[in-house]
Amino acid sequence: MKKTLLFLLTLVSSLSIAYAQQREISGRVTASDDGSGLPGVSVVVKGTTIGTSTDADGRYNLRVEENSVLVFSFLGYLPKEVPVSGQTTMNVVLAPDAKQLGEVVVTALGIERSERSLGYSTQEVKGENLTFTKEQNVLGSLAGKVAGVQVAGSSGASMGGTQKIQIRGVNSVTGGGQPLVVIDGTPISNANFAGRNGADYGNLAQDINPEDIESVNVLKGPTASALYGIRGQYGVIMITTKKGSKGPKKVVVQLNSAFSLEKVGNLMPMQNLYGGGSTQTFRTLANGQKYVDGTDESWGPKMDGTNVRHMHSFYPQDPMYGQLEPFVAHPDNIRDFFETGFNLNNGVSVAGGNENSTFRLSYNNTYIEGVEPNTWLKRNNLGVSASLDLSKKVSVSTNFNYANNNGQRPSQGYYEGSRNFTQWFQRNLDMKRLKNYKYSDGTFYHWNTNRPTAEGVITDPEPVDWNNPYFEAYENINSDNRERFFGDVGLTYQVLPELKLSGFVRSDMFTQNIEHKEAAGGRYEDGYSVAKYQNREMNYEFLAQYTKDLNDFSFNVNLGANLYDRHYTFLSQATAGGLSSPGFYNIGASRERPTSGREDYPSYLLRKKLQSVYGMATIGYKDTYFIDFSVRRDHSSTLSDPYYYPSVSGSFVFSELLNWKPLSFGKLRASYAQAGNDVAVYATSLNYEVGGLYGNESGTTNTSYVPDVLNNPDIKPSFATSYELGVDLKFFNGRLGADFTYYQQRNRDDVIALNVSGASGYTSAYVNAGLMVNRGIEVALTGTPLQTGKFSWDVAFNLARNRGTVKELYPGLDSRLIESNSYSGVSMYLYSTVGQPFGTIVGQAYQRDEATGKVLLGSNNQPLYTTATHNFGTVLPDATGGFQNTFRFGQFDLGAMIDYQLGGQFFSWSRMLAVKAGLAPETAAINENGKNVRDPLAEGGGVKVNGIYGPGVKINGVDVSGQEFNGFVDAKTYYRTTIGTRVYEEWLYDASYIRLREVRLGYTLSRTALGKLPFERVGIAFIARNPAMIWQKAPDGLNPAELATGASSFSWLETGGLNTVRSYGVNLNITF
Amino acid sequence: MKRIYLFLVVCLALSGCEFDEDININPNKPSQASGGQLLANAMLSLPGLSSSPQGEFMAQYLSETQFPGGSLYPEGATSFYGLYSDPLMNLEEVIKADDLDAKEGPVANQKAVAKVLKAYYFWNITDRWGDVPFSQALTGLNNFSPAYDTQESIYNSLFVLLDSANQGFVAGDIANDIIYGGKVDKWKKLGNTIRLLMALRLSEVNATKGKEEFNKALAAGVMTSNEDNFTFKHLGVVANENYWYSQVGRQKRLWWALSETLVNTMKPTSDPRLAVYADPNEKGEYVGLKFGKLEGGAPAEYAMLGSDIWKQDAPVYLVTYAQVLFAKAEAAKRGWITGSDVEAKTNYEEAIKQSLKQWTGSDAGAGAFLQQPTIAYNPATALEQIGTQRYIHLFMHGYEAWAEWRRTGFPANLIMPSDKAIPTRLMYPAQEAANNTANYKAALQRLGGTDGLYGKVWWDKN
Repeated sequence: MKKTLLFLLTLVSSLSIAYAQQREISGRVTASDDGSGLPGVSVVVKGTTIGTSTDADGRYNLRVEENSVLVFSFLGYLPKEVPVSGQTTMNVVLAPDAKQLGEVVVTALGIERSERSLGYSTQEVKGENLTFTKEQNVLGSLAGKVAGVQVAGSSGASMGGTQKIQIRGVNSVTGGGQPLVVIDGTPISNANFAGRNGADYGNLAQDINPEDIESVNVLKGPTASALYGIRGQYGVIMITTKKGSKGPKKVVVQLNSAFSLEKVGNLMPMQNLYGGGSTQTFRTLANGQKYVDGTDESWGPKMDGTNVRHMHSFYPQDPMYGQLEPFVAHPDNIRDFFETGFNLNNGVSVAGGNENSTFRLSYNNTYIEGVEPNTWLKRNNLGVSASLDLSKKVSVSTNFNYANNNGQRPSQGYYEGSRNFTQWFQRNLDMKRLKNYKYSDGTFYHWNTNRPTAEGVITDPEPVDWNNPYFEAYENINSDNRERFFGDVGLTYQVLPELKLSGFVRSDMFTQNIEHKEAAGGRYEDGYSVAKYQNREMNYEFLAQYTKDLNDFSFNVNLGANLYDRHYTFLSQATAGGLSSPGFYNIGASRERPTSGREDYPSYLLRKKLQSVYGMATIGYKDTYFIDFSVRRDHSSTLSDPYYYPSVSGSFVFSELLNWKPLSFGKLRASYAQAGNDVAVYATSLNYEVGGLYGNESGTTNTSYVPDVLNNPDIKPSFATSYELGVDLKFFNGRLGADFTYYQQRNRDDVIALNVSGASGYTSAYVNAGLMVNRGIEVALTGTPLQTGKFSWDVAFNLARNRGTVKELYPGLDSRLIESNSYSGVSMYLYSTVGQPFGTIVGQAYQRDEATGKVLLGSNNQPLYTTATHNFGTVLPDATGGFQNTFRFGQFDLGAMIDYQLGGQFFSWSRMLAVKAGLAPETAAINENGKNVRDPLAEGGGVKVNGIYGPGVKINGVDVSGQEFNGFVDAKTYYRTTIGTRVYEEWLYDASYIRLREVRLGYTLSRTALGKLPFERVGIAFIARNPAMIWQKAPDGLNPAELATGASSFSWLETGGLNTVRSYGVNLNITF
Repeated sequence: MKRIYLFLVVCLALSGCEFDEDININPNKPSQASGGQLLANAMLSLPGLSSSPQGEFMAQYLSETQFPGGSLYPEGATSFYGLYSDPLMNLEEVIKADDLDAKEGPVANQKAVAKVLKAYYFWNITDRWGDVPFSQALTGLNNFSPAYDTQESIYNSLFVLLDSANQGFVAGDIANDIIYGGKVDKWKKLGNTIRLLMALRLSEVNATKGKEEFNKALAAGVMTSNEDNFTFKHLGVVANENYWYSQVGRQKRLWWALSETLVNTMKPTSDPRLAVYADPNEKGEYVGLKFGKLEGGAPAEYAMLGSDIWKQDAPVYLVTYAQVLFAKAEAAKRGWITGSDVEAKTNYEEAIKQSLKQWTGSDAGAGAFLQQPTIAYNPATALEQIGTQRYIHLFMHGYEAWAEWRRTGFPANLIMPSDKAIPTRLMYPAQEAANNTANYKAALQRLGGTDGLYGKVWWDKN
């Protein structure tokens, strides 16, 4: 690493020395309001076309004649004319044009434009706003900060887990559609290798070092992203990184160090009265000793201190072998499992430049020890960006980012890891005891084995369902690592002051390795699986930009071409039938022919190309009226024909005409666009599948089969058409700002694997189908309610409401299954249904009396339930948004970020099982008779049930239908057999929440306070990530904000997500 | 760099360049599949027709020791999609193919085997669900929502299909045959045996047709020994292991005891098969667990599913010679074939002998067993005796035993768990309501409007 750094430093300094200087005028253009350098200011010799524009730091240089006059002009500022008069350095200060308030924003393809000229909504988030509590995943740090951008996250326990973004609702009848992530113009992969179960490796955009980010612009709809064509249908997250700045001896070194402690929070409440077992009476051995059943539920005897044989007492290797110990609750057994983790993040950046070059280098190291035992993540990020003017007109630039990740992560879901604590567990288990999971002879202690014989012998010491959680943590290891490179090399040629040509070669590559070790002595046969994924995406790009002002008109024309080339392969293998020797984790150890492991194929190759040309023109009149046209032509190698994607938009800065003082800026905007999506590679080719093998000593028979999914050679790309209307207002010189947007987006002809009747011979077939209409409003308010000398208070609030309706599916088809979930033979489905919002949950509900709404009961007084046909409505929220407050008082700053979601729903498997397995508090609650619900009915126990006997229900031969029952039923039958298994209505929860996501209290030592110390600035801050859920509708122990998994692009299913993690720490920031 | 510019400029000018021709050829999947490989794949799905807790519960062979659920006959859909999209679609591909490779054996035999298997799968499907898509099924893109055919028409079509298979066989073995090692004479006998057993299924609904088909099948040549049995031989490797091994052996699920009904039928006659079907309890005794008991029972106290049955490479018996003999015994008793009671007795006794041989490897105990008063052939109760012995023989092929129970009412001692009657059909896949709405509704109309476990299939007149 050090060598690389040295090399790059040497390279850049030698380049700047080698470059021959020419005598010319140079200077810096700054803004009068804050003294910052103004980039992109046009500097033109009056009366000529000779000129240049300022760099990112406001600096320029230009060869001119002695007596010329320079005109400095920049959008939003009053122009200035300055005579040269023999000066060699001309620093110019521009004053903002109060009437022309409006910022320069980065738009599609990295083109910087004045905000006033944009006919669509775009929202920028500054880098410091993303890192103020040192969130590691850039997508996660966008949560709540951009109107209409919903971030579904996951628990911090996976250390870099999945963060999913949805812009303006779900825009595909399939539920798919993730935005394109673009960094400095380079589209990068945001793939996810995780599923619902196992380790969550997270989304790949997390390889961006958040400290490198200057700003993030979210292009929300097809209008904004029309220039990305096929890849921009679901919006674009545009990330711009920090750069060095030109100028003599301007070197800025920053050190950044953060340390935080990570602790679990929001543990699910549990009952502590009854322990492991299926009945309340202890089982006994032949010698009369009572023992704890090794079953995985807590419907057992009261934990009253009775001396019993615990499971470990049946292991002859155990010090407590054969002995009795009290049967008592361990109320904190779940908490005891978790450790206090930490997150140590250290970074350094060096930025600078000289007259003709800029340079920035950054390095960041992250080390996390997770809250789950034996889990950790190490990450290194190295970033270099540099630019060099080869001549007055030609410059080269590069961005280079390297990241590596090494992780050992916990499993989530079912049957792996520790998530069964809330699903199937015993409340009497002592975590300290479980921790000694390995005996000195190398054998393991498990709590969930089949029962001992009457003589007290466990014939099979391996568990039935659940491994000892420490066996999972220390023996069954998930490890993953990824090497990532992305970046670009560019050449820019300023042919004329108005005309710039540029070319870029962009690349994103990664190698991802994932392996899993399954140790001998647990529930599963020992084994090893390994997968290696390699991806290379190249983009070759050409762009011509022409800018010209003519009287009151301004013209901006861009023409470009792009060639995209992707090459992706993987190899995936897993041992079968066990390992040849325990602990030899290698495919070569496979006892039987290895399988393709975590993938469907042992080896895979994907090749794809995309040829694009595009053009865009903006015409402005009097800097007040603007109109934009763009068109892109994409020809994908997956399709036989090319397709065109047009857009048109316009804006009108009406404040120019109003001249009403409080309104500093007012703009109306409108746009229309079409964007598309692609067809998956090979989706048009017809193939067979490789089937299972049948092999014995006399040979192996290979088999093939007709695929279950029918490909379609006539498939077309899908189209999204969107309209957008909005108004942007700024009052009192920007003290108060308000943006309103209304949009409608129609996504048509999605490429979907249409579920068809299996009797057709296929379970699904690719077709173009569907029309999904999303309408929504977005409101973003910013304000500075207070601003006195030392004190300021800034507020940002946003709210988005989206209503999506599935308008059409396929002729004759009303519903399409998107996902389903089954447990214990009961299924729940998520459908797209015509005429309804996207994502309707269909499952088993209570049967209810139509007149009274009361639950119908059967002859055993237990509730009756419907088949899996009850429609519970959409999973999507009514509204999402965020609320951010920043206070500054002298050297102190206090920031708090809140994000929220209103409405939506999710199904919680963990809650259902906590009840089914007798772990949840209500399964051992006190009823209105003052008795425990588990007490016998005859003694006043039982769960209170009020309902009406269903049609045809007979008790002792007498028809009781329609009669009311108001009484008690057996708790185990009620919770375990009835509602915990069959009534999914009980386990659906409203996903509304208001979360305090980030808090920071900082103090900045100023230059003067630092005295002789060599620091420019020192900041220290206390930071907290995810410190509190302010309000949620779902019960404690669930986290509606952390439902994302790699498996699904939206969050409706909780099947054992990792526990919530709260982190608190300190951040030190030093600038030299 | 310059070349790229040049390329891009040229592309821009010509608005489109050609891609490499092979870029869309999927290198990850085969573009060809041989008839033999498709047939072999269809055979891999065969154990699923038998190895299913649901089938065992329908026939009340097994009781649940823990978590009683399926044995309480809960309402709920069972999907037939996998049977269509996996084995049947492969078979259809072979039947329709015009490019089968004779290197894998005579093309006619590949097709005839595919027809026999297709008939066998559809027979299972229609017996479980009743009316199902048949004539419009398996046409892919041509019809994504195939209509449901009546069971009667499916039976008629399958008789024709089996007849055509029988006619189609020529001399010459086929390759990739994981059932009979390529011996087509055995496939031919299997096809006719299926036809024989299907014909018997019509005893209550259309005896005339049943008798006719039965005799045609006999004439065409049915199984003549246990060597002809249609058996899926599991192997001692993960990829080809017995379903019950994955449950009991691999997952340590001591969930299944033999039902009290079955044990109490077999124990009094010292049935030699009991020791194979079950492992004794901790005390060395064979104690059956009452079927559908809500609280289950401790595995140590009951006769659990036998380790011979759940071992990794235990075979699955799908169609057996003993079934042929039971069928002939019944046919003789019914007068479908000649010989009446004498013929019935001979076949009945031979059936039991062959069953003992199949399950225990020997018929040495058969003589004594056949002397048992309840076992010895009794013309007065012959149909019940045949039905009960066939039930015992069909152990672990629950769906077939359940079908025979629905047809004949034997064995007569099955019970109603928690007052719930034994289902008479399976419910359609829930997705059909969305995927194939009109046809699904039409099929439901024939069931009286709603899907449920208690509608009766066409031949079920009992």
